[in-house]
Amino acid sequence: MSASYLELRGIRKMFGDSTVLNDVDLTINEGELVTLLGPSGCGKSTLLRCIAGLTEPDGGSIMLGPTNIGELPPRRREVGMVFQSYALFPNLTVYENIEYGLKMRGADKKERQSRCEELLALVDLENKKDAYPQQLSGGQQQRVALARSLAVQPKVLLLDEPLSALDAKIRKSLRTEIRDIQRRLKMTTIFVTHDQEEALTVSDRICIMNNGNIVQNGSPEELYAKPRTEFVARFMGSYNVLSREEAGRLFGVAGGSAASYALRPESVRLLPASAGEARRDRRVADGTIESISVLGNIVRYSVVSSGVKLTVDALNDGQSHRGEEGATVALELDPSQLLALEKEGA
Amino acid sequence: MKHRNRWMLLGLVPFVVMVLAFQLAPIASMLAGSVRGPGGSGITFGHYVKIFESAYYLKAIKNSLLISFYSSLIGIVVGLACAYSITRFTPKIRDRLLMLSNMTANFAGVPLAFAYIILLGNNGIFTLLFKEWGWDVFAGFNLYSWTGLVLVYVYFQVPLALLLLYPSFYGIRDQWKEAAMLLGARPWQFWRTVGLPMLTPAIFGTLGILFANAMGAYATAYALVGGNYNLLAIRIGSLVAGDVVNQPELGSALAVLLAVSTIVAVILNHWMSKRSQRFTASAASSGQASKPSRAGRAKPWRAVKKEAGA
Amino acid sequence: MIKSRAGWSHRALMLLLMVYLLLPLAATLLYGFAKQWQTTVLPESWTLEWFGEMFRDLRFLEALWTSLYLCAISVALSLAVMLPAVFVITVYLPKWETFMKGIVVLPYAVPGVVAAVGLIRAYSGGPIDIAGTAYILIGAYFIVVLPYMYQGIRNSLITVSAVELLHSAELLGASRKRAFATVILPNIWPGVIISTLLSFSVLFGEFVLTNMLVGGHIQTIQVYLYRRVGESGHLASAIAITYFLFILALSTVLMKLGKKMNGVAEK
Repeated sequence: MSASYLELRGIRKMFGDSTVLNDVDLTINEGELVTLLGPSGCGKSTLLRCIAGLTEPDGGSIMLGPTNIGELPPRRREVGMVFQSYALFPNLTVYENIEYGLKMRGADKKERQSRCEELLALVDLENKKDAYPQQLSGGQQQRVALARSLAVQPKVLLLDEPLSALDAKIRKSLRTEIRDIQRRLKMTTIFVTHDQEEALTVSDRICIMNNGNIVQNGSPEELYAKPRTEFVARFMGSYNVLSREEAGRLFGVAGGSAASYALRPESVRLLPASAGEARRDRRVADGTIESISVLGNIVRYSVVSSGVKLTVDALNDGQSHRGEEGATVALELDPSQLLALEKEGA
Repeated sequence: MKHRNRWMLLGLVPFVVMVLAFQLAPIASMLAGSVRGPGGSGITFGHYVKIFESAYYLKAIKNSLLISFYSSLIGIVVGLACAYSITRFTPKIRDRLLMLSNMTANFAGVPLAFAYIILLGNNGIFTLLFKEWGWDVFAGFNLYSWTGLVLVYVYFQVPLALLLLYPSFYGIRDQWKEAAMLLGARPWQFWRTVGLPMLTPAIFGTLGILFANAMGAYATAYALVGGNYNLLAIRIGSLVAGDVVNQPELGSALAVLLAVSTIVAVILNHWMSKRSQRFTASAASSGQASKPSRAGRAKPWRAVKKEAGA
Repeated sequence: MIKSRAGWSHRALMLLLMVYLLLPLAATLLYGFAKQWQTTVLPESWTLEWFGEMFRDLRFLEALWTSLYLCAISVALSLAVMLPAVFVITVYLPKWETFMKGIVVLPYAVPGVVAAVGLIRAYSGGPIDIAGTAYILIGAYFIVVLPYMYQGIRNSLITVSAVELLHSAELLGASRKRAFATVILPNIWPGVIISTLLSFSVLFGEFVLTNMLVGGHIQTIQVYLYRRVGESGHLASAIAITYFLFILALSTVLMKLGKKMNGVAEK
């Protein structure tokens, strides 16, 4: 179960003079859902297209089980793909779209029918089977696209930003649905997205990409708790990234060895200005609230302390202290929460 | 407000007058003329009966239909291949190629017929060259015959077909091809199952325009074969304004028949473009809207400039 | 794998197409400059004689002049009639647009020969006897350019969102006439010029209506060319090429203008 199933070695791709993929290595276990997360232009979609055979890498190998699929044309790689824009065939009905791959593989009519019914049930679209794609909502279209690529029982499923063309509500429900289906089928899946929240909720493992490299690779918990570089820290959430000098000023100690530090916004507590003594292992600093925004269950403060601008998150439970904009407050800081970051590209 | 708007209507008066006088009145007059009884009184369908009983006029209609059909068909096949080809080039080269095709589309009517006479006429350059070189494969070729006419008609149909068809190739999205490949389809299977069905409305629509274009073509045929070849447009011309006996009523009836055929063809085009709009609209809604706008770059009113009717 | 670089088969096909399309043009061009041209691939000797003769021919200059002023008058008339009409329909009577479109598309569907038949019947004899005169031709030309003018003006009005422009000008206190003259006209002008030039080039190449309606009385450049084809091939070549170069220059201007307009619209 945990044997490496898909194995990429040294995948390299240049577009003209710019390096899009810089000797990328990646192994994925059978049944695992791995997310490639990164800003646009980081090479994540190109990597996906290399696996599918839609883009030819300049170097490297792609092993799927015992086969080197890097040499095969796309139609023989047994890889399924769902595109951001769905790419449904507009002249075919939902049923015909799902049936397409089976037909191309020469499956007989009976087999095609039973398989299509199965998939229609899986994505809950039995009542839409004779509709044309343009008669469906975006979310429904994406479910058809998912069913279409699953119909031929691919060994790996590739999802290229499958949710980014949808609106926020549908995006959330569809991502749980995709995750459920993936778990049920134990489908080895690579999910490409630029949305860190999406990545955190659906993945077994996340690979963060930047400038054609995988900069960090780990479980969602690991990545969120221990970003290794400044890039990951900034990308994974609203981490406060402090220079060595800023960290020294804020915590009142002359710095450590790292070039920069990360501080989670929820690890800082806001206290009334007159809060008095701090607990022994904490430090209290004065600050001024610059702005407040309510993000549902969280209240986000922007606070300036010792000339350092910090983001502080507090639970919106109606109990904890809430200052007003411009008010002076005390910040309770926990030095053990300060994370040393590696240099970029290390 | 109402009153002010009524004043604005004055701006429409000259337009209405011109259209009535030079478009609707002539059409009405022609329709009336085609059913006018002998001596100018009563209504008769005698002229139509006469046409359908005359082997001569039936032949003209048949010739026109055939030449329009064949030249449109050849035009569409060549145009389709070239339109696909042209979308494979970089935008810069593509625009140059399109400009050249557009340029030759201006080269129609009398000058075109004349150019072909220079090339392939009785004393044409190629005719003499081939004779000199002893290539008698072409000895049987006669520019002033049916094959010659088809050749010249095809010349003005190809650039028109190309200009009308190439935007619809941009409606075929690369991701459809990629999705089909990943599902196991070979390129020809993709074109058979998705590509061509998506192009069908555009193909039939263009066919309608080409057909109407060829049916109405007068200048090219007139300059090439004069009154010697039996085509509907030429017959009408000589019946109405020719040097032979003027038979305006018969000419009117023939003109009505010609108009019916071209109007049907244009309506076909209209229908089909509506259908293809449905497809492209769906394509636009399912994803980025950048592709359709690229296809919209071709200005239809420029491309559909009537070539041969000039 | 799917790269939009053209393979050799596409290049070959395009080369073939261009040869096919340009061959008649090239032949006409060479013929116009050829002195001796028989049984060789290229002319044996060259001359400017035909072009010289063409410019010395009074009838050619006359035909050119006739074409120019007939086309200019027709396009000017069309502009004067269509500008207010399209404006009123687009801005005040959008419900009538489908109807207008139907009328305007008709010249596409009705071939020139058919239109000529109707015009001759309607205007020879009877109360308005203008057959064979320039009046009937100008009327016919008006109808020929109807689709181009309508599309051009309407598209311009829509691209500059004339209705909103007009309303905001009126809200700022401009009278309706002033708003039209100071806000709408300058904005749609480039688009209107393009359709004007396009109409002009269409009319310049018109043959069937001219020949059938007034062929015996008025000679435009096309009718003149037709007459000359039978007489001297070389001279006719020179005329055809001159005519073509003129049209080419016109379309180049047209394209440049179009590009410039698109560029402005993108900003």
